[in-house]
Amino acid sequence: MGRKKKEYFDSVVFTIPAIFLVCVIFYIPFLTGIYYSLTKWNGIAKEPVFIGIDNYKTLFGSASGFLTSMGFTMKYTVLFMLLSNVLALAIASALTKKFRGVSVIRSMFFIPYIMSMTIVGFIWKFIFSQGFAALYEKTSMGFLNWSWLGSSKLAFYSVVFVGVWQSLGFYIVLYIAGLQAVPLDVLEAATIDGAGSFKRFFMVTLPLLKPSIVTCIFLSLTNSLKVFDIILALTKGGPGDATYSATMDIYREAFQKNNYGLGSAKAIVFFVIVLIITQVVMKLMDREEGDTAKKRKGGAE
Amino acid sequence: MKKKLLATLLCVALVGTMLTGCGNGSSDSAGDAAGQEAPDQAESNASDASADVSSDASGDEEAEIYMFISGPEYADFINELIEEYKNVKPNVTINYETTQNDYPTMLKAKLNAGECPDIFASTAGKEIEVYKEYSYDLSGQPVQEALLPALQASFVDDSGNGCYAFHYVGDQYGIIYNQDCLDQAGVTSLPKTLDELVDCCEKLQAAGIQPFACGYAEWWVFKQSLIPFLTESVDNYASFVADMEQGNDSLNNHEMMKDNMFQFVDIVKANCESKPLESDLATAQAQLATGKAAMGLGMGPWAEASLLAINPDMNINYGGYPVSNDPTQCQIAAGASQALRVNKDSENLQAVLDFINWWFTSDFGKEWLANLGSVPAVDTNGVYSSEMVKISMEDMAVNGAGNIGTTYSTDAFWQSFGESFQSYVEGSASKEDTIAKIEQNWKEIDGAEQ
Repeated sequence: MGRKKKEYFDSVVFTIPAIFLVCVIFYIPFLTGIYYSLTKWNGIAKEPVFIGIDNYKTLFGSASGFLTSMGFTMKYTVLFMLLSNVLALAIASALTKKFRGVSVIRSMFFIPYIMSMTIVGFIWKFIFSQGFAALYEKTSMGFLNWSWLGSSKLAFYSVVFVGVWQSLGFYIVLYIAGLQAVPLDVLEAATIDGAGSFKRFFMVTLPLLKPSIVTCIFLSLTNSLKVFDIILALTKGGPGDATYSATMDIYREAFQKNNYGLGSAKAIVFFVIVLIITQVVMKLMDREEGDTAKKRKGGAE
Repeated sequence: MKKKLLATLLCVALVGTMLTGCGNGSSDSAGDAAGQEAPDQAESNASDASADVSSDASGDEEAEIYMFISGPEYADFINELIEEYKNVKPNVTINYETTQNDYPTMLKAKLNAGECPDIFASTAGKEIEVYKEYSYDLSGQPVQEALLPALQASFVDDSGNGCYAFHYVGDQYGIIYNQDCLDQAGVTSLPKTLDELVDCCEKLQAAGIQPFACGYAEWWVFKQSLIPFLTESVDNYASFVADMEQGNDSLNNHEMMKDNMFQFVDIVKANCESKPLESDLATAQAQLATGKAAMGLGMGPWAEASLLAINPDMNINYGGYPVSNDPTQCQIAAGASQALRVNKDSENLQAVLDFINWWFTSDFGKEWLANLGSVPAVDTNGVYSSEMVKISMEDMAVNGAGNIGTTYSTDAFWQSFGESFQSYVEGSASKEDTIAKIEQNWKEIDGAEQ
């Protein structure tokens, strides 16, 4: 009993520093954020004015811009998740084949991920404007002369493209690891049973890859909901306010328009939305994974 | 019991890590942005534009002045000033720090952390009131008496009293012309009316020169190039702004705002590069200085050094914005747009005041102010170090100066103003939509603050 007591004591003592840090860095600011969301404060005045839930009312009005930027974030998230996962899976399957220079190509795909988002943003800003202009003079291909960052529709796709381009390498690595873990004997058995390469991929490899897919979808979901720096470097939310994501809208509200109260309210609402989305996706994934596990077990019996 | 306590604690820790993972999006963007950027920038700025002037001489009134201001283009000049002050007061240490990018955010981070710089900056006009509770009233100080009246007027509070700031340069808005381009196209005089502007553009196009380097990717270009259309239409601009904030007036009531302003943007759009919304300041200055384009928008004398750095032989000319077909309304706008403030709770208030008064009244200070290469803040007896300032002073002596105006609205409003016009230039918003959006933002962003 004495030893057990000591163990309890140790566990408590060792978690205290972590709990303290998490509280100071996360919980306390979070709670003060909730308080500020109920006030009218410009970030400068010494005393914020308490105004109840007025900020939440303005937030859902048309003028606050929150709903449009939330819509942008949702569109971005769907497209980003789809593109990055499908492309990464396709490229990863190609890169698990054995051919000369495969490791060089793998690292080439991974390099953008090592670079900072802001730098990637500035590089592409340069490519989209001066780079494309110079190429257009040489080749006169029409699409090079489009205003990739200057028109709202194209700017959206430019942002998605650069986002996917930057993070593709990361998901490729995850998928390669998953693909390499697929047992060869199962694939051989499928070949003997007469499955072609197409069937083999979709009926055998893909179900066995589920854990990697779940991880990648979840990571791409959270990363795309948080999108900020790429947009800031590429378009600064422009042209007009066409490419303001929810996070950028919160930043603009709090730091540029000086409405810390409304900005905090937006941050809280965004937090709740993100929490719900991630929980729902996690639940769905869990169930899927549970199903396949059960099926696999049943098959074995 | 203990088990329960432990379980709860562990749960809290677990949920904590989970929430930090999921919740990144919300708290990162709001909280960390300021916290992280500030030290990074401070560091990078420290390396390129800061001076830590300390002196080892000892004395009885040792003081340290922390000066955190915007406007890094004057960093070299300010360092020179600080060097000199070391000789005057060896015991006073001035820590000078500057940044261009995101200055207001960094300042707010500092204010909320409880460390107000002894000398800090804001915009003049409306923001004087915002930072009033931190600012010392300089009324009656020698520095106030030295400032030109046009500048003093920019530093009063909402009720028109006091002098809550000072500044070492004035500001101007006008069009910068590349005179060589105009000569080449056979344009003999600067356009003073919208008709002349169209004519000038046609001549330039015929000579194969792109008329405008627009810089429309920057929101502040709209602020600084369209403000004359607002100030020239009304007699009392301050009360017009107050009416707009209350929703009691409309851009549609003023022909110059409703028609001429959009006509001007249309002229620019038709006569600049094919992708106006990708033209940022660097692009615009490069085009203007190298003679690829003839007219630069949204710039003032502050841009002269950058232009000459790109092309030392550039032949600069400078004039007001043509706002109508009445040439007398084409004026260069002048005043102060930035304001330096003294922290009224500073520990070394007297040392700070001594420094500023020396800055504006000593012989060295006066000469320094006259040689800034920008619009002087004090009377310099006709001595100008910059070509553009000379042109503008001569122009203003003949045509008078326009109201600088921009300081009556916050930058938050001007940014939304610029974004509305970016949508208009892109074609995704009609003229009516743009006017409605501007009016709405005027009410909601600036009007709500009162």
